[in-house]
Parts: sequence; C-alpha cells; structure tokens
Amino acid sequence: MSIAERVGAPRIVATRGIPYPTGDPSLGPAAERAWRRKLLERALEAVATPVSAPTIFEVDGGKDAA
Amino acid sequence: MAEARPTEGLQERPAAGLTRVVHQVEAVDFGERTVYEGGRLTVSPAEAAQILSSPALGEVSVSWASPGSPVRIVKVLDAVEPRTKGPGGGGIFPGFVGPAQPQGRGRTHVLRGAAVVAAGYLPRAQEAVIDMSGPAAALSPLGSTHNLVVEFVPGEGAKWEDVDEAVRRGTLALAARLAEAALDAPLDAVEELPTGPSATAGLPRVGVVTNLQTQGTFKDVFVYGRSFAQALPTLLDPGDLDDGAVVSGQFGHPGLKNPTFMHQNHPVVAELRRRHGKDLDFAGVVISPEPVDADNKQLISVHAARVCAAAGFDAALVTKEGGGNADADVALKMDELEALGIVAVGLFAEMAGTDGTGPSVVVPPSRATAMVSTGNYDDQLVLPAVDRALGGTTVNLVDLPATEELRLPTAVVYCSLSPLGWGHLRCEAAV
Amino acid sequence: MKAPMTKIVHYINQFFAGIGGEDAAGSPPVRVEGAIGPGRRLQQLLGDDLHIVATVHCGDDYASGSADAVQEILALVRQDDPDLVIAGPAFTSGRYGLACARVAAAATEHGLTSLAAMHEDNPGVDEGGAATIVRSGVAAREMGSSLETLAAAAAIVAGGEPLTNEQGRLGRPRRQVVRADRPAAARAVDLVLARLGGDLEATEVPLPRFEQVTPAAAVEDLAQTVLALVTEGALVPEGNPDRLESARATRWLRYSLDGIDSLAPDQYGSIHGGFSTVWANEDPHRIVPLDVARELEAEGAIGRLHGEYLVTAGNGTSVANARRFGVEWAADLRRSEVRAAILTST
Repeated sequence: MSIAERVGAPRIVATRGIPYPTGDPSLGPAAERAWRRKLLERALEAVATPVSAPTIFEVDGGKDAA
Repeated sequence: MAEARPTEGLQERPAAGLTRVVHQVEAVDFGERTVYEGGRLTVSPAEAAQILSSPALGEVSVSWASPGSPVRIVKVLDAVEPRTKGPGGGGIFPGFVGPAQPQGRGRTHVLRGAAVVAAGYLPRAQEAVIDMSGPAAALSPLGSTHNLVVEFVPGEGAKWEDVDEAVRRGTLALAARLAEAALDAPLDAVEELPTGPSATAGLPRVGVVTNLQTQGTFKDVFVYGRSFAQALPTLLDPGDLDDGAVVSGQFGHPGLKNPTFMHQNHPVVAELRRRHGKDLDFAGVVISPEPVDADNKQLISVHAARVCAAAGFDAALVTKEGGGNADADVALKMDELEALGIVAVGLFAEMAGTDGTGPSVVVPPSRATAMVSTGNYDDQLVLPAVDRALGGTTVNLVDLPATEELRLPTAVVYCSLSPLGWGHLRCEAAV
Repeated sequence: MKAPMTKIVHYINQFFAGIGGEDAAGSPPVRVEGAIGPGRRLQQLLGDDLHIVATVHCGDDYASGSADAVQEILALVRQDDPDLVIAGPAFTSGRYGLACARVAAAATEHGLTSLAAMHEDNPGVDEGGAATIVRSGVAAREMGSSLETLAAAAAIVAGGEPLTNEQGRLGRPRRQVVRADRPAAARAVDLVLARLGGDLEATEVPLPRFEQVTPAAAVEDLAQTVLALVTEGALVPEGNPDRLESARATRWLRYSLDGIDSLAPDQYGSIHGGFSTVWANEDPHRIVPLDVARELEAEGAIGRLHGEYLVTAGNGTSVANARRFGVEWAADLRRSEVRAAILTST
C-alpha cells in the first residue's frame, strides 16, 4: 500500500520518484515532456471520476519504466 | 621479510571474533606531539591540520569541546570514535583509511570518551546542535565525550562534493591517528565480542535490520567506502560495524541521524550482544538502503525480509534514519517480516507536534504493531546561552547568534531521537 | 495515613454562577470562595479528598472574546495554587465551551493539571490544546450524569493517570515526553521478547488512525473548470524571497502565474530540505507542471488555469500544520472558483 493511500489521499496518480513528481530526468527533454503530459491527462481523468476511497489512477508505463 | 608460508596463517589463526581494547580518555589537551598517556589525550594541531589537508579544503582548524564546558557545536556533520587496528590504521574504516576489505576480526583499539566531530556548512545539511553543558548535553551521545571539533573553509573554487569527501576522509584518518597514540598504552578494559550461535539451545534468534538513509550527495551512507544507495539489503558482520565499515555522509534530520560514531557503537547490536546466550541468540545484522521511490521501497523491504528469513531470524528489530518517508521503510519492512512469520519491532521517533496531539507516526505498519518510542521530534527545548560556539556563528533555523539562548525542537539536537536506540527519551500517553 | 487533599479551582460561566443570561454575558471574571452553582453537586460527587477551594466565573462574551480574557481568568485561577483546574460542563454551548477549553489549555501550559467538560460537538473540543476534555451531555437537563462523568474523570486525572476514551475523553490523545530508565535499544529487545512470548498487544507507540477524508465529488465539465496547481515541493522564486522554511514549515505561500507560460530554471528552484533538489532546479516543471498545464488550457481541455500556485515544504511538517494548510488551501481555492487541483507531492 502506498503512503498516499495510507494517509487517505482520495485520487492518486503514481509518479516515478520523490524529487520529481511531474518529471523523469532519465528521459530526454521531449520524452519527459510527453510523460508529464500523460500524468496531467491522467490527473484530469482522476478529478472527473467519482471515488469513495483512496484510488490509484495508473499511468501506462508508470510501473516499470522508472 | 620471511617468505610467506601458507600454514603459518592457519596455525596462528586468531579467534573468529573481535576484541575491543579500550583506552579511556579522561582529559584532553593540545601539544607539540600527539600522545595518549595516563588517560590524557594530547593532540598536535599541526599534525591534525596536515592529516586533514586537501586541495578541496582551505584553512582547517581543530578545537576541543569537553563535557561540562559552556560550549555549543553547531552545523555538526559526522562524528567518529577514534579507533585503530594497528599502525596506519591496520585496516580500520575499510574503503576510506584501510583497503576496501571486510574487517571485524582481531583487535581494535578504542579511545573511549573521545570523538572527532566535523562541523561547518555543507549544502543540504540541516542545522544540528550539540551542547556540552545544560539540559541538551544529556540528549546527545556526543554531549558527554571529549570532542575534537574539525572546522574548515572550502578550498578556492572547490566543488562542494569534493569538500564533503575531503572532510570525511580527513575526519576518519584523524580518528585513526588519535587511536594509534594508544596502541602501546596500558588498557582499561578488554571486550571480547561474542560470535557464532550461542551454546544455549532453544533461544530465539533475534537480529536487527538497520536502514541507512541513502538519498544522494550529502545524504548518503557508505559501506566499505561505496555509496549504499544502489545496494540491496545484505547481512553485515557485526564486527564490521565496530571497525567502521559503515560511514555516514548523511546530514539531514540531526535528531534522527546515525553518524559513524553510532554505527561503531550500534546500541541495538550492543544490547543483542549483551543478551546473547542469555535471553536470545544474536542472529545478525542486516543493513538496508532507504530508497526514495515507492516501488523500490517495496522491493527493498520484501528483499530485506527474505534475507532475514534466510538467515534464520525468529525476530528482528527494525531501525531507521530520517523522518517522514523513512517511516515507510520501517513500516513496510515490519509488515513484510511479520508476513514471513518473523516477529518485528520498530524503533520510532514520534512526530506528535509541539503540543503532542498530532498523529505520531506518519506511516504506520498495517500488520505489525510493536514499536518503541524514541521521543517526540517536535518537542520544544530551551538551550541556555553559552560562552563559545564552534562550527559556525549562527544557528540557521532560528537565525540567531550561535551562543544565544535558543528555543529549538528536539529534532535539532544531534542524535537526540537516535533511531538506533541510544537515548532515553520516550513518549507516553499524557494525563 | 491520609492522602493529601487535592485543591481544585472550578471555572463556570455567568449563567451557572447565577449572575444572569445574555444580559450578563459581558461580565468580567470574578473569583469566589468555595463551590457555587453546579460546583456544589460536583463537590458532593468528588468526596473528601478532592476539594473545590474557589470558583472563577465570567461572562461568555467576555471570556470567549479575547486571548487577554483567558489570561485574566487564569490569573484568578492561579491565586489558589490549585492542583487541578476543572472547567464546565459546557454542554453544546459554543462560547462557554470555547472559554472552558481555552482556560484549561492555558492552565495546562502553566503546568496545571486541567480538565474541561463539554459535548463532543462543542467547537471548544478543538481548542483544548494539551488539556484533557471529558464528555458531557447535550444540555443542562443532563447535568446530573455529566457531573458524575466529570467527577470520575477528575479523580483519575488528579491521581496522575491519563484519561482514556472509554472513560469519556474527547479529542486527540496527547503524547508527552518522558525520560525512560533504560535506553530505547534495551526496551526494544524487551518488546521483541514479549512479542515472541505471545504478547501481541505490547507497544510503546499506539498506532495512529488518520482521519477519513471524504473525497470531493467528480468534476462534471472539465472544459469549464478552473484548475489550480499546488505543491508541497517547496518550489519558490529564485532566492526564496519570502523565506519559506525547508523543513518543519509553519506556513504556505502563493506565487502568481499571470502571464507566465513556463518556469525558467534561473527564476525558480526548490528549497525542500528532504530530497535532492538537483532535478527540480534543472527543470522546475518536475515539481510544478506549468508548461503542460498551459498547453492543456490552450487546447480547451480545462476552462482555465488558476492565476497563482500555492506552495509549502512538506518535510517533517507536523500533521496539525499540514491539516491547517489543507483547510486553508481548500477555502482559498474555493473562493477563487477553483474546482479542481493537482497537488504534486514529493
């Protein structure tokens, strides 16, 4: 269970590292910006989705690419 | 030199364990030569400066701060207990002073009651204070030692990373050199450290998992001289802790940090050794990094639990370094250990707010439930004014001259909430 | 041998002191000898060892109106050098509850053991600071049972024991720092052995329960929604002009995004003390994703981006401060017609 879930954050988009929630320095500039766009699009889907408890909104490529 | 004969080593093979030869430091001084005699440690400032000299450092100076004196050390970085295994260090602090090879065997000379303490500005270092007198002195393990304080000015144009590295190497080399002065001195105590399974059958096998905060430059911990950030949890011979295989380069969360001094004197390891063969069978030490992202925290925690299982632990104490997300590393490990049937107990500094009413653990475990408290991070202290400050002229957090009376949270006092269990602070439910 | 008597000072409002109702709500604090009003029945319930030596009463408007009033009341309370301060019961009366809680909190700050009594819905419950608050009924018709609960709680607290929730305690329990006889390492090994011996309850740290947050309703029409960017990643303008703390932050800040489409590395940086800021300082969008948010705004994916971002440093922050930041952020954003926010968390 993630920290965000444990403390009860309602809508969670999991990102790739504490120091860069909306980035990924291992990517080139264009790829990193595309990744950030994906995260924000997912975040917008999250706020438009009804939830009743802490819910993780996965992003494609969010798990293993880190 | 005689030709090496392969059988000689076997015949003279020392016992598998480690012997600590203790020399107590009762008084300190400066002098022309570095000598230890009759409990008095005299240090040559010129020799100390020479040991510390580096292209990355400009002027370097040393000062004594002794217990009971009206002295405050601010901007404390690492602290090291003077130890050596022979002339030139004999392998002590492997990877820094000695070659990067496992130690933890034979004899180690310890100058007990003394420490080398580096103090000064480094980027990312959080303000850390040691008072040598007053109420805060008893809250830090370095409040009751004779501290040789190393202050430094960065070399012109030197990169901060190189300054950090030079201070670390110099501090360790100086600590080894001070202990060398006692190599031929009469000893005050001999401590034979237990090794191997106890002779008493049927005792529970209890070990310790020690998390090392590894978050990059200025927040890193070194094992055999290498950054431990990318490592997996591993068993470490407890004697290697005594011989300085774990060196701290981690300057965050002063109250919750584990300087080299504390790894050399790991309180949980000391307690497990003390009770070995009586209440329990000391099953080993597992060191683990504290990664910064959730997936790796999970990986490291599961892996650490499996290492403990493979080593036959019945129970493990879990220690941390740092606050906040470091709680997650303890909680996850405790849960993973209990999931494998290994009893887990965590050592936790609580973050209960200045009035003590906040939820005290940021990330609690969900399966494991047993924790020992090491105090409240936010509890306010009043540190009386002192005559002299070392390490800097101001205290960052409150923007005051370092010699003034200070109101500070306990978290600022060096090792006051020691996650390795040194301290006596504890929280309890209030009336 | 008889136990020493516990001296109590009792705080009540003008109504229960018999001074008057709303007409007397502005009356200043007064100290009188012994127990009066509900204090008489309370004294009977307390028995011989706990003795109400004086009562301090004050009008509700006066007492709840200013911090100075609480200090005035406290000065009268301290005249008798009491062992225990009892305030209330205040039931659901808001001003009276606030006054009781604040008097008890102030007395506790001065090292006095204190107990305030009120209903769990009374706003005073949140104002008790380090004082203990015990449950009472809804209104004065429940005076009898409320005084019984209060008297029992007083005996427990006067004996130096913490009051438990089962015994009627309200609010969050307080953790106090003590010096243990033995170091934490030794106690931890004891705890391991106890747990190995089958004691699964033993712990020095009771597990906290985080508050349940009711999720906000889903946004219905993103294309009409004002979106805000907020962060605890401590991203501030170069030089940290407002001196945001890098750890244990006590406040939050706002910075304008008007006319700004991207955050230049030489103009913004993170001063967070809890992680390496190298990556944030290379590209501030790794903390505050303004570039992509502007892109989405231009494409009409959202109605508009809020004209400023809110920021603090989430590093060793007390839960009380974090809770306050959250409440203040929500209120501030709602006033600005923001209906959705992306909080980047480090």
